[in-house]
Amino acid sequence: MIQYIAIILFVLGLYGLLVNRNSIKMIISLNIMEIGLNLFIISIGFVYDGIAPIITSSAGSGGLIFVDPLPQALVLTAIVIGVGTTALALAIAKSIYVKHNSFDLNEVEETV
Amino acid sequence: MKNLFALFGSLLLALGIILALNNNTLFPSFGEADLTERVSGEYLTQDEIDALGSANIVTSIVVGYRGFDTLGEVTVLFISSLGVALLLGTSAKQKRLELNFKPNFMLRVGSRALFGFILLTGIYIILHGHLTPGGGFPGGVMIASAILLLYLADDQFRAKIKGFKILESISGSLYVIVGLLGMLLATYFLQNFLPVGTAGDLLSAGVIPVIYILIGLKVGSEISGIIDNFLTEEEAK
Amino acid sequence: MSAILLIAVPLLAAFLSIISKKIAPYLLLLVGLFNLVLLFFIPEGFVIIGGFSQPLGINLLFDFFAKIALFLVNALVLAISFLNIKTYGKYSSILLVALAGLNGLLLTNDLFNLFVFLEIAGIAAYLISTSNKKPTHTFHYLVLGAVGSSLYLFGLIILYAMFGSLNMVNLIEKIQLSGNYKNLILPFLLMFIGLGVEAKLLPFNSWVKGILGKSNTLTGPIFASVYAATIGFVLGRLINNLFMFEGSLLTVIIVILSVGILIGEAMAFASTKTREILLYSSIAQASIIALLFTNGIVIWAVYLIIANALSKLVLFLVINKAAEDTGSDEIESLQGLFSKNMLVGITFTLASLSVMGLPLLAGFVIKLNFLTELATSNQIVLIAIILISTLVEGIYFVRMLIKLWYKGENEVSVKYTLSFKIVFVVIALALLVFGTYSTPLDKLDNSVDTIQEVVNNG
Repeated sequence: MIQYIAIILFVLGLYGLLVNRNSIKMIISLNIMEIGLNLFIISIGFVYDGIAPIITSSAGSGGLIFVDPLPQALVLTAIVIGVGTTALALAIAKSIYVKHNSFDLNEVEETV
Repeated sequence: MKNLFALFGSLLLALGIILALNNNTLFPSFGEADLTERVSGEYLTQDEIDALGSANIVTSIVVGYRGFDTLGEVTVLFISSLGVALLLGTSAKQKRLELNFKPNFMLRVGSRALFGFILLTGIYIILHGHLTPGGGFPGGVMIASAILLLYLADDQFRAKIKGFKILESISGSLYVIVGLLGMLLATYFLQNFLPVGTAGDLLSAGVIPVIYILIGLKVGSEISGIIDNFLTEEEAK
Repeated sequence: MSAILLIAVPLLAAFLSIISKKIAPYLLLLVGLFNLVLLFFIPEGFVIIGGFSQPLGINLLFDFFAKIALFLVNALVLAISFLNIKTYGKYSSILLVALAGLNGLLLTNDLFNLFVFLEIAGIAAYLISTSNKKPTHTFHYLVLGAVGSSLYLFGLIILYAMFGSLNMVNLIEKIQLSGNYKNLILPFLLMFIGLGVEAKLLPFNSWVKGILGKSNTLTGPIFASVYAATIGFVLGRLINNLFMFEGSLLTVIIVILSVGILIGEAMAFASTKTREILLYSSIAQASIIALLFTNGIVIWAVYLIIANALSKLVLFLVINKAAEDTGSDEIESLQGLFSKNMLVGITFTLASLSVMGLPLLAGFVIKLNFLTELATSNQIVLIAIILISTLVEGIYFVRMLIKLWYKGENEVSVKYTLSFKIVFVVIALALLVFGTYSTPLDKLDNSVDTIQEVVNNG
């Protein structure tokens, strides 16, 4: 179930990027797409009846079923990279606003 | 017209991905992942846990087995913060952005009281990265959110940005130097050279808590720098 | 001496360089020189990071393929930084991080590590492109780049769910054991499209017109030669070893690439601005390189990447300096550019003739050899497409050259400094020498890429 939601969020973000022309809305769509992707990555690691991969007693890890820790580590990295990209995109949007006084990319057609 | 086209395209893409994954014989269904076939099966054995000494296995992957990826991730944040400073900062003197909202006395004083608690929580999470979920990244962001609280509650507050820049630069360089020390003292880049201890103690896991402290400081100062860049503007002549 | 220093030292220098803005450019030149010298002393083989047994940790692969790529990229970045140190000194920290990211892309043996370095190099690219002072184009590039990286990560995660490993050598062994290619179509397609955004392949190359169409002496060479070469090498490594397209996916990929070549050449033919002509030619060349890797012609694709990177460096530097000084890059306003700058004109002509593929230059030898290889595998349609594109290239390059050599009504005066001229002469000589004396090129063959050997030997 959750994998379907993740894929729908991903495609929703892509649709938002294609349809919107306001730079702030495009950044929000990009974030929705990345959320969908991160949810999908985490869902890959789920194991039924598994517990979090943290050793809590001195008995060690024998006989316990853990969920997959590797996708969680990958998602940590992916979230931080998403934050970096969003910060940079917002700074560029602000400099577009300062230069052209609008956030709408259709209005600020720079001569190419 | 273009919107309809985009809608059809996206629906087709979603359908295509779902059908392809359902028909994929090797792709396991949700919850049926077999860890003995994956690399993670190795990470969870008692031998590997004793070798690395960290009770939180996600931490031992993030900072131990895949520490090189974490170095890259720290670099991504570094270059984003540099980019924001390049785009929004000018060499002229900066002052706080004028907003319509003026905070009142209770907000200003109350936020200073809350600042200490948030900072303490962030430091706790950074220090216990190898024992509980969390670590350098969430802890660093908590420290930065404490600074953001001060910015929002007081419209004349500006943190010492020069100090943050130096802190960021030093903690980043120390991370690479810890890696190079691993090469000198052990044999490989980013190899552990401190005693490992037993999993579950505060002073365990070798070089992992040290790296997490450096990452926490770096992330906190970088995001504070980004916040300052967004909330200031050039001083009007 | 370990290959990890090629990545760690630029990173360390980048972290330290933000303390003082004045020493940053000198740090960049020092680190670039250090990297080039270090390359001579690194032994070939795997470099393990962190001391963990494989495939638990990450490792780097330094083989002959990576060696050629690293020499080219480090030398180019050193040259470009040296030429731009006075005007674009404040981008030195960013260039240091970009250097570390590009070296990491070429060395890594782990797919998720490739994603992280792709993002590092990508964000450094977005920042370097802000020097064009066109924030809307940078925003467009950023959005497309983020979508591309996300698609690549999506494909990568599906591969991990199927096979359970992220190490390239380990993954290739498991894929070859599985045998059923139909399962792999979705992840490989997503990863190819994700990398294709940066590699200027259709359908996501709309960012190239904005970024390179208004480029300056820093961004033009960086995107058209350094980044193009790096992504070409990365795509080559992945196509040749991991993807190994077959069946219906192979047909789809070949169609996309061929359409890319034809559209690129057609747009170059229709344009009247020099920078646009050069960037559309770059798009077409990128598709040709990807096509060669898909057909297994590894060594001539590598030579094509090198020749392309060197020629485009000269072409873009000349045109961007002229556009900067005169304020416009229309062919009409640059008429007669070379009548005052003879040496620069000769080197520009030689570089463009090499891209076209005329005899006596390296481009001809490379084109002849890969067309012969395509003929032995009976790819008549591809040979026809490449011959048509060569014809169109010839027409628009010669048209541009004639206008630039013969004086028009206006006086065009552009000053090229001595360091520029030295770089132009060295590259033109290299293209001439390898065009006439091509035996060293024939000595290497398709086995420069050693991953398959490692996989087969266990």
